[in-house]
Amino acid sequence: MSTPARRRLMRDFKKIQDDPPTGVSGAPEDQNIMVWNALIFGPENTPFEDGTFKLKIEFTEEYPNKPPSVKFVSNMFHPNVYADGGICLDILQNRWSPTYDVSSILTSIQSLLDEPNPNSPANNQAAQLYTDNRREYEKKVCKVVEESWTNAYTKS
Amino acid sequence: MADDASDNAHEKPTQLFTLKKWNAVAVWNWDVECDTCAICRVQVMDACLRCQADNKQDECVVVWGECNHSFHNCCMALWVEQNNRCPLCQKAWVIQGTGK
Ligand SMILES: [Zn+2]
Ligand SMILES: [Zn+2]
Ligand SMILES: [Zn+2]
Repeated sequence: MSTPARRRLMRDFKKIQDDPPTGVSGAPEDQNIMVWNALIFGPENTPFEDGTFKLKIEFTEEYPNKPPSVKFVSNMFHPNVYADGGICLDILQNRWSPTYDVSSILTSIQSLLDEPNPNSPANNQAAQLYTDNRREYEKKVCKVVEESWTNAYTKS
Repeated sequence: MADDASDNAHEKPTQLFTLKKWNAVAVWNWDVECDTCAICRVQVMDACLRCQADNKQDECVVVWGECNHSFHNCCMALWVEQNNRCPLCQKAWVIQGTGK
């Protein structure tokens, strides 16, 4: 069955294939265009460099008028990522616009990695270390980067 | 001397040709981008995804805001129900006109 949300997602998929954004990728599941698996590569010259982080994006029939739910599947250590992988990012909540698509969502999450907002922490420990003890913060980030490699090979 | 001159004459036209072709491609892409409804990603001159599915192509019109951004009227009507702002520039949405 083809609904406006599904057709819009087909267009998002075509765009991400024709004009792939740098450092992110994503594709719908074989049987269900409403659920996407995505990868974000840690941006260069940041503690997240070389990380390959998996995410799951779930859309509703109200897309693009309502944002999808986006979660990290890979372990993440970041001030704005909850323990369950949920992401605290304004454009996925109150600043959502129906002009966003999968490419712009993933690109925004990628830039959030190195530009956390410690004022709305989802992970208190990460937020505190980010402000008070950057070396310890980077050590913890380094650990999730290493974990992301093993997960990338075993889970796919 | 004579050899040098003929070499130059031979190389120049090829370079100019490649440059012109590149420009034309870039301009064409830009034009298409401007005419697309940023909500459903269909050109505003065509019917939106919803009307295409419902076979209501004739009823689908374009709406312009005072900010000069345009969308399908149907796409925008659904969005302003939850947030009365232009999704592109975030200004308060005030309709300037509708039409085909
Ligand atoms: Zn539209
Ligand atoms: Zn329409
Ligand atoms: Zn506008």
